[in-house]
Amino acid sequence: MKRDQKLFLIKFFVALIAMYLLVAWNPVNDRVIVPITKVIAAGAGALLHAIGQDVVVSGTTISSSRFAVNINNGCNGVEAMLILLAAIGSFPATMKARLIGLGIGAVVVQVLNEIRIISLYLIGAYRPALFQIFHTAVWQVVVILAAIVFFLQWSARVAPHRLANGS
Amino acid sequence: MPRIDWRTALKGLAGFVAAVVIWVAASPVYDRFVAGGAELMLRTFEKPAVTRLTANGEDVKVDREDFDPRSPRPGLPVIDLTFNWVLLAALFAINPRPYSDRNIFRFLFASLLMSITHMAALATEVMSIYVARLGLWSRMHYGDLARNFWGVANHSYRFVLMFAIAFGLWWALRPGVEEPVSRSPRKASRRRARS
Repeated sequence: MKRDQKLFLIKFFVALIAMYLLVAWNPVNDRVIVPITKVIAAGAGALLHAIGQDVVVSGTTISSSRFAVNINNGCNGVEAMLILLAAIGSFPATMKARLIGLGIGAVVVQVLNEIRIISLYLIGAYRPALFQIFHTAVWQVVVILAAIVFFLQWSARVAPHRLANGS
Repeated sequence: MPRIDWRTALKGLAGFVAAVVIWVAASPVYDRFVAGGAELMLRTFEKPAVTRLTANGEDVKVDREDFDPRSPRPGLPVIDLTFNWVLLAALFAINPRPYSDRNIFRFLFASLLMSITHMAALATEVMSIYVARLGLWSRMHYGDLARNFWGVANHSYRFVLMFAIAFGLWWALRPGVEEPVSRSPRKASRRRARS
C-alpha cells in the first residue's frame, strides 16, 4: 500500500471515530439526529400512504394494525452518511469537490434509506419471516455499499491518477 | 480503483447475493468458531477465568462459573456482529478480475482478519453485558469508566466500525494497490515485442 493510501485509511478511521463520538453524544443525538430521524419517518410514512398503506407516524415510529417499525440509529442512514463524510473528507480533493460529493452522496443515501424503510415495513407486514434477514444483512449492507460505491465514483472523478490508482 | 460500470455493478450484485447465501448457511457453524475465539480472549484477561460462551445455532449463551446456577443466562445473536462479511465479499467482487488467484487469496486473508474482529466484537459485547446489564452484580464489579468504555466500544462497532472495518480491509488488501493487475503472459510478451 502506498504512503498516501495508508494516510487516507488512517485519516478515515480517525475522522469516523471523531464523528461517531460527536453523533453519539446525547445533546447532538437528541437535538440533531432524532429530529432528522423523525423527518425520515414522516417521509416514509407519506410514501407508504401514497401506495395505499394505512400507517400512522408517531415520532420515529411507523405503525399500522399489521406491523410497526421504529427507526433508530442504524436505520436512519446516518451511519452511511458518516462513512461517506469520513471517506470524502479524508480523500485529497478541493473543498468544492468535497461539498458537491457530500451533497449528492447524502441525497443518494437518504433516497435509498427511504426505500429501505418502506420495503422493511412492507416485508414486516406481508412477509414477516423474511424481515430479520432483510433488516440485518440485506438492507444495511446495501445502503453502506451504495455509499462506498458513490465514494469510489466520486474519487475516480476528482483524482483519477493519484490515490485512486496507487501511483 | 474500479470505475463502476454496469458490468462491475453486476459483479458486485452477484457477489452480494452469493455472500448472503453463504453467510446465512455458514452462520451456525461460524458462530461456534467466533464464540470459541471470544471466550479465549475473555478468559485470557479474566482472573479467575470463568466465562463460558456456548453457541446453540441461534445465539451465543453467556455463562460464568460464579453465576447463580438458577439465574437465566443472557443470549447474544452473533449474526448482528458478523454480517459485515457480506459487505467485504461484495467489495472484493467488484475488483477487476474477481476470480484471479490474487483477489481470492486477498479476500480469504481479509476474511481471516475480519474473523478476529468478530471475536473481539463478541468479547466486547459480553463485556458490555457484564458492566451494565446485570443490575447489582454489574454495579458491584465495575465502575463508570468501565461502563462507558465497553458501552462505547460495543455501540461504535455496531453503528459504524463494523462497516468501516470491511471497507478498510478491502481498501488495504485489494489487488492493484502495489502493482498493476498482471496481464496474461501472451499479451505481456506481445507488448514487449512491440516496444
